[in-house]
This record gives sequence, C-alpha cells and structure tokens, in this order.
Amino acid sequence: MAKVSLVWVATPGLIDLDPALVAKAAGMSLDQGGLLEAAVVTTSLEQAPKQLRQRLVGLPVAWLELAAEVGGGPQAHRLARAAVAVSRAAGRAAKGTLPPVYAPQPAQSVLVAGAGFGALAAAWEAAALGHPVTLATPFDDAVQAGADDDPEAVSLLAAQLPAQVELVPHSELTRLIGGAGGFNVWLSTNGDAPQTYGAVFLAPPGELAVGCEVDGLDPALCCPVSELNPEDYEGPQDGWLHVAVLAGTAEPVPSYSFSAALEAALALARRPRVQVTLLFSEARVAAPGGEKLFRDCREAGVLMARVEPGKLSLRDGGRELAWLDPLLGEELELAPAALVLAQQAVAPRPAWLDNDLLIKPWDELVPDNPRLAGGRTSRTGLYLTGALRGTAPGDARRAEAASAAAAMHEVLTGKVVPMPVVRDSFCASCLTCVRTCPHGAPRYAGEHIQCAPAACVACGACAAECPAEAIAPPGWGNPEMFSSLEWGLALAPEPKMVLFACAASGMPAVASLSAQGHEWPAGLVIYPLVCAARMSQLLLLKSLELGAKRVLVAGCHPGNCRSVTGNHKAMAKITSLSGDLAALGLPPEAMEFLPLAANQTRELAQKVAAMAQAAGEE
Amino acid sequence: MTNAQLDTPVLILGGGVAGLAAAVDLARRGVAATIIEREPRLGGRASQFCCKATEACARCGACRLGELLVQAAHLPQITIYTAALAVAAQPQGDGWRVELSPQPGGEIGPGPGRPLRERTTLNTQAVILAVGGEAFNPAGKTRFGHGRVDGVFSALELEAMLSQGALGPDGLAPAKVAFIQCVGSRDASLGRLWCSRVCCGYALRMGRVIRKLLPESQVTFFHMDVQDYGRAWEDELPELRKQMRFVRAMPGEVTAGDGRPEVTYALAGEQAIKEGFDLVVLSVGLGPPNGASALGELFGAAKDSDGFLTTDGGPAGVFVAGAAAGPRSLNESMVHGGLAASQAASRVASLTEARHG
Repeated sequence: MAKVSLVWVATPGLIDLDPALVAKAAGMSLDQGGLLEAAVVTTSLEQAPKQLRQRLVGLPVAWLELAAEVGGGPQAHRLARAAVAVSRAAGRAAKGTLPPVYAPQPAQSVLVAGAGFGALAAAWEAAALGHPVTLATPFDDAVQAGADDDPEAVSLLAAQLPAQVELVPHSELTRLIGGAGGFNVWLSTNGDAPQTYGAVFLAPPGELAVGCEVDGLDPALCCPVSELNPEDYEGPQDGWLHVAVLAGTAEPVPSYSFSAALEAALALARRPRVQVTLLFSEARVAAPGGEKLFRDCREAGVLMARVEPGKLSLRDGGRELAWLDPLLGEELELAPAALVLAQQAVAPRPAWLDNDLLIKPWDELVPDNPRLAGGRTSRTGLYLTGALRGTAPGDARRAEAASAAAAMHEVLTGKVVPMPVVRDSFCASCLTCVRTCPHGAPRYAGEHIQCAPAACVACGACAAECPAEAIAPPGWGNPEMFSSLEWGLALAPEPKMVLFACAASGMPAVASLSAQGHEWPAGLVIYPLVCAARMSQLLLLKSLELGAKRVLVAGCHPGNCRSVTGNHKAMAKITSLSGDLAALGLPPEAMEFLPLAANQTRELAQKVAAMAQAAGEE
Repeated sequence: MTNAQLDTPVLILGGGVAGLAAAVDLARRGVAATIIEREPRLGGRASQFCCKATEACARCGACRLGELLVQAAHLPQITIYTAALAVAAQPQGDGWRVELSPQPGGEIGPGPGRPLRERTTLNTQAVILAVGGEAFNPAGKTRFGHGRVDGVFSALELEAMLSQGALGPDGLAPAKVAFIQCVGSRDASLGRLWCSRVCCGYALRMGRVIRKLLPESQVTFFHMDVQDYGRAWEDELPELRKQMRFVRAMPGEVTAGDGRPEVTYALAGEQAIKEGFDLVVLSVGLGPPNGASALGELFGAAKDSDGFLTTDGGPAGVFVAGAAAGPRSLNESMVHGGLAASQAASRVASLTEARHG
C-alpha cells in the first residue's frame, strides 16, 4: 500500500482548521513539499494550483472538496468531519486513483429474455444498433413463438436475425438486480453466476387465455378460437348445426381478440349448414379491418347477439344459453352444439419483478403512463414488452420494440446527465436514497453508495430525502439551491413569490407563455426543477424564510410523472406542512401544488395571477 | 433559375407528433433528419388539443408534444423547415430527389424551425410520410346540423374551447351536453367502413372534464359500442358509467329546437324521442389524409383498401408513420413514428454500407 500524505490547500472554508491536527487525527503525514507516493488534496482538481497539479501528475490522488465536506457548525465538529473525510479519501487513494463520481460506464450488452415476435423484434433492433445481444428463450430455437404470435411472421423475423445475436435456448430469467453497470442477471442456464447487461428487455412468450368468458362451461363443448378448425364443422343433411361464438360476454375483449373471433365466425358461417351466433357485450371493431369484418360476418348470416356483461345464463355446461336481447327487449335462447371462445394474449408476470429495489410495482398501478409509452418502465434500461404489457400482437409489438430500442441506445451510448455525488463523510449509510430512488439507481456497494448511470434521470428525489445532505450533484445540493434562491428573492420586489416548475410540465408551460410575451408578476422567482421529486420541506420553508409570500410547485398530474411518484411526494410534503403554516400565521394557500400539463399555459397564468393578487392584498 | 440544394439522410414530411417522434428516434439512433412542415408552425393537430386530466392524468398524451418540440429544437441532428411543401419527387439512384416549395404565410413563429424561403431541391435516402390523418368534416353529415344548428360543435372545436377556457364556470356553461359518436366512422352511407379508434377515448375524457368543470352538468354519450383504449381505460369505464348517461343509440338527426339543439333518437323497441341539449358534440372520426392521393402520386406510396397510406407494398425507401397509416391515438402515433425511424435508419445504414463496400 502506498503511503498517503495530506496536501493542504487552504480554501476559504478551511481557514480556521489546523492542517497538522487534521493530518494527525486521520493518521497521516502532512505534505512538507517532499516526494510523495499518494495524496489526498483538500480541493478539486480544477481549483488546485497549477504547480501542485504538475507535482502530482501520475500519482494516485484523491481530490477532495474538503470545505464542502466539513460544512458549518462548531469548529470541533468541523475538525472531526474533516478528519473522517480525509481518512476515507486516504483509504481510496492508497488503492490507487479513483474517479470523482462512482459511475462506471454501463455495459453495452443487451439481454432479451423471452420469445416470439416482440422478443425477436427487440433483439433485431438492438443488434442493428450495434449492441451485443443475448436472446434467452425458454424454447429450443428462435422460431418457436408464443401462442399469440403469427408463426409465419416469427419465422420470417427469425431468419433475419443478425449473426451477432447469441441465442441461449432453454433458458429462463430467474433473478434480476440493478447494479452500477446495468443489471446483474441470473439465467437458469448459468447456474449461480450472474452476468451483467446494460439493458434488459422482458418479452415472455404470450399465452392465450379464455379468462374473459363465463364460468361453468363444459370443456368438451368448447373450442378456443386459436384451436378452431372450421373444416370439422358441417351441419346434418336435414338441418342446421348451431355454433355459438362467445366474444366477450362477461366483459368486453380487446379489439384484436374480437377480430379473431369475427374471423372464426366468418369461417364457420361459410361451412355448409352451419348457423353461427356471435355473442358479445361490446363490438370491439377498433383493430384494422374490424368494422369490415363485422359487416362481412353479418352478410354471411352470422347472428349478432348483444348481451349485458355477465348476464348470459347457461344450463348444462353451455348446451343451453339464454340472454335478454336489449334491441328486441326479449329473452332469447339458443342450444348450441359447440361453443367457440375468444382469447386474450397474456403473459405471466415474473414474481421477482416486484422486487422493490429494482422496479416498484408502480407500472401496474399507473399503466399507460404516457411518459412510459413504448415499452419503457420507470427503471431506465429495463423494458417490458408484448403480452406482458398488454400490447396487441403483430405490428404494434414491432413498433414498441423499435421505440424502446432507440431509447435504450441513447441511454447506453450518449447520455449526459449530472450524476449524484455522494459525499462519503456525510453519508450515514441509512439507505434512504436506495429506498427513495424511483429509478432503482443507487446501490450500497460495500463501503459507499454506487449509482447506475444508465438508470439515473437526475430527478433529485434522493437529494430531497437524504437526511444527511450527503447527495450533492451539480445544482442539487441544498447550499447551492438556497443561495440561488436567495439571490433571486433578494432582487425580487414585494410581494415575493416562488414558482418551482418541473421540467416536464411546469417549465414548458412557463417557456411557451414567455415566448408569447406573457408578463409575469415582478416579484415572481421561477425556479426550474428536473422533477417535483426534488422538492424538500427544507426548500419550501427556506423560500418562506427568504421572504416569499407564496410558494407554488407546478408538477405533473398524478399518473403522468416520469419519476412515477415525484409529484405525489411534493404534494405530500406540502400537505404535511399545512399545520405549520397556520402556526406561522400564514394562510394555507401560502404553499400550493398545481397539477399541470405542459400545454396548460392558461391554467398556469391564471393561477400565478390569482396568487400575485392575493399576496399583494396581504 | 437553379434551386437551392440540400442533402439529408432522411426526409420527414409532417411535423406533427408522429414526424417529431420519428425525428427524435432517428437522432437517438445517430441518424440526421430533416422535417418539412406545411404549416407555419410545428405540432400538427395535437397543438389544438387540451389536457384532459381531472383528478389524475387521463393518459391522452397531448402534453408530450411540448416535450417533443423541446427535444427536436435541441438535437443537432434535426433540421426543421416550416411553411414548406413537397411539390415533386422522383427516385434517383438509391434515394429520392424532392422539390420543396415555400408556402405563403411563413413568418418565424414561436417554436423550433425556420420557414423555407426559396424553392429547394432535396436529396435524401429515405422518406417518412407522417402527414397525419384528416378529421371528418361534420358538415358532410348534414342531418347532424353542424354549421346550421346553434350549439352543435365538432369534437375538435370542443378541444379548442376547453384548452382556451371558453367552456367552464367563466364561459359557456351548458347544463346538458350530448356526445354523438361515430360521426364519419363505421358509416356505410359515407363509405367510411372503419372504426376511428380514438373517438371513444377523447369523447369520454372530455365528458369527464366537463363534469369536473361544471359538476351540475349532465353528459349523455350516444354510441354504438365503447371501444378499447388501453388497460387503464378499461378500469376507468365503470366509474365513467356512473358519471355520465350512456345511451346505446345513434341519433337520427339534430335540429334547431326551442333555442337549443334537439337530438332525435330511438331506444330499442320504443318510439323516437326528441331531447333538447345545450351543447351537442359530434365526435368526428379520422380518415385518410386529404393529400394522400397527391402524396401517393408524388412518391408512389401504396394505399390500403380504406385509402390510408401503407409502407408495405410501396416503393423502396418510403415509410409511413402515424395517423396517415390509419387512425391512431397520440401515444400510438409516437410509438409508430419510432417504427418508421427504425426502418429508415436501417435503410440508410445498408445504403452506406453498400457504398463503402
């Protein structure tokens, strides 16, 4: 191990500290200008004097912004914090140099776990973008597809799969944990050894389920649409064969599944002496060609029977059906010789997916979040596609894979966001950041917190929650935010007001209003945030302390937050402070959350104007 | 006179959500693109849409346009010309040679992009047609009284009214509102035999916004079938059925009654009813783009049986994105733009590879 010396650069925040005492407390020698093996320097590389930098070239050096690490308070406390910070940095310097931010480059490789059209499309897209791709399929080969796929389209796509896609057959994903370089993945074919991938697509093969029809049907009578062979159906010479197609009688089925049922009904109706009755609660004709198919069925003699959801009564396992026809207002009956059942594509959700450190089960709570369209999840780098997400089979899955792959490529190659810097000497390893981060970025890795660069979207939720104020990415730390707020409010005339605006909703609305020449009240300070999640109670109270009469936080509507719950968190903080506002003699509207969409400029302008008027009257 | 010359790997016709999403996805893939927008400003139809959130986000996707515009303005790979129209196109070598003509009214407006100033010849390897669909003109369905009967609006007009705040406690405050679905969709008499996919979603969402703005109001939803519109949507339907009156009937006509429009409809097995409403909204469907035939001739793009443009069966290097290829919601159009971006990028890559051996 190298002998580490303390190189003291007396920056303004360190004036009152004795370098010799710090070095002694940290168990190191203080640099006297001699030869060095390794060093801890008390300032950043950028701020160090040029001569010092030249002197330290090639040595393992920990550049430590000591003034920021020690903070304020009594001198004895600051001395103790300095000693801890220096000795921790010395430990790292002794091992050699280390990057200033614990952010390893994400792995470039991509895992596609699943099978079928969506999985192949994702593998094709990722390979076309130059990433090494592993396709882990539960089947023998790539051509085998999910029950909901068109086998022809799948084999066509499998034939186009580039050679650099490594196919791992008979492989199941058993465990997935987000790591600093991406994801640590356990595959059943690899035993206990995890492998690291920069991004993961989960596209399990779809299954076809008949969950949408009534219970109590005799299986001997039933045939799911996918297993139907119309050739088997033919009426007797002297009569009719009655077949009922159940297409969403308990509750409506998705339009792709209704279209499949229509095709089955049409094929059956063209058989000799077969009378088909289609029973449904809603005619879901939104799939391409659905309306024409519906009309073709009617022209081919299919009887259309609408039933109230769940009001189809059956006897003898389905050999006798009865329902109230809403058009005729009459009770109708049918004794079908066979029942054909519509099916929906589903995929079992892996139990480990709800591992709350990887991805919280929010994507179930907020499905269709428009910011997470196209297969994205709140965990950047993890994509859920196909039947697992409820995407209709066919082209929609191709588009979903293409859209997700482009987002993934951007994350793995060209992402520039400020990464959180965890100040070791402040960090109490309480893991609040690990629990708070909606994107699953921070991990506790032995001695310190590590963040996955691909996962971080710089929302600042961690910095808002960290009780030790140990997270200080550029512009996020409380000291920086407080001082810029102070400058802004000092210049603003009375009544002073602060608008914290989320970059996804509040800021675009502010920008488009400003572009239209909107005149903001003179006392309004607009403070952009990446996400409302960065709001802390401290920041809210600091605004009031600095003289603001009103604080408004403009964030996304519930269910529309890129960081899933950033807006909820901000709302909760404001609500929890309402009692304290009364104690301070302030009206409850002194702090408010405004749910806003980027295009709701009028609402924002009205709210700010009303706020300015109320603040002016006080 | 010789035209100005431009070269671009991918030309995107249309600066609505599908075209913008395609350009952003191409930039993510490291491919440069040029967007040509006919109007003086970007955004297409989505720029008229209101936010449909009530207590929570309604997941309509209208707010994502702002995000796309910011991205498009900042990505160096994207070039944008507004007030520009493609007037001629011919295949040349591996790609296309497209003549662009400036359109009148091209002032520099707010938002990204600058107007095209002169006739320009543009050489490109791939073309993405993201020209959007055409909303049905409700005047084509004369018996619903649009343009004749006061108080009858198309859903697009309602979008604009809601986003400008013209409807609500401070403006027009109708006590009874009717939505008539499938205007220009699923209609054999008009030869429009397709479901427009999006109308159930937008009408019910706007109905809910009206109920929130005017809690005393009554909203009636005349429809044939409620179509599916995402997973969350399905879960919300029971709640919507409590908030609004769902009537499964297609009205026969809308006439001027005693100071307000009257809707004539018949429930199954009953006599026709005349009911007065303060506001009647016609949920107009999406159809093929007006310029589809012109663009079809320009690029030889293939069309499906309904007249929408398709990528399949069309000429090499021409891809279709968004509602030009069939009725699509905003979110679906953006994802579909990503598909066209993928197809165009792989064509550009294979041409570049072929050229450099």
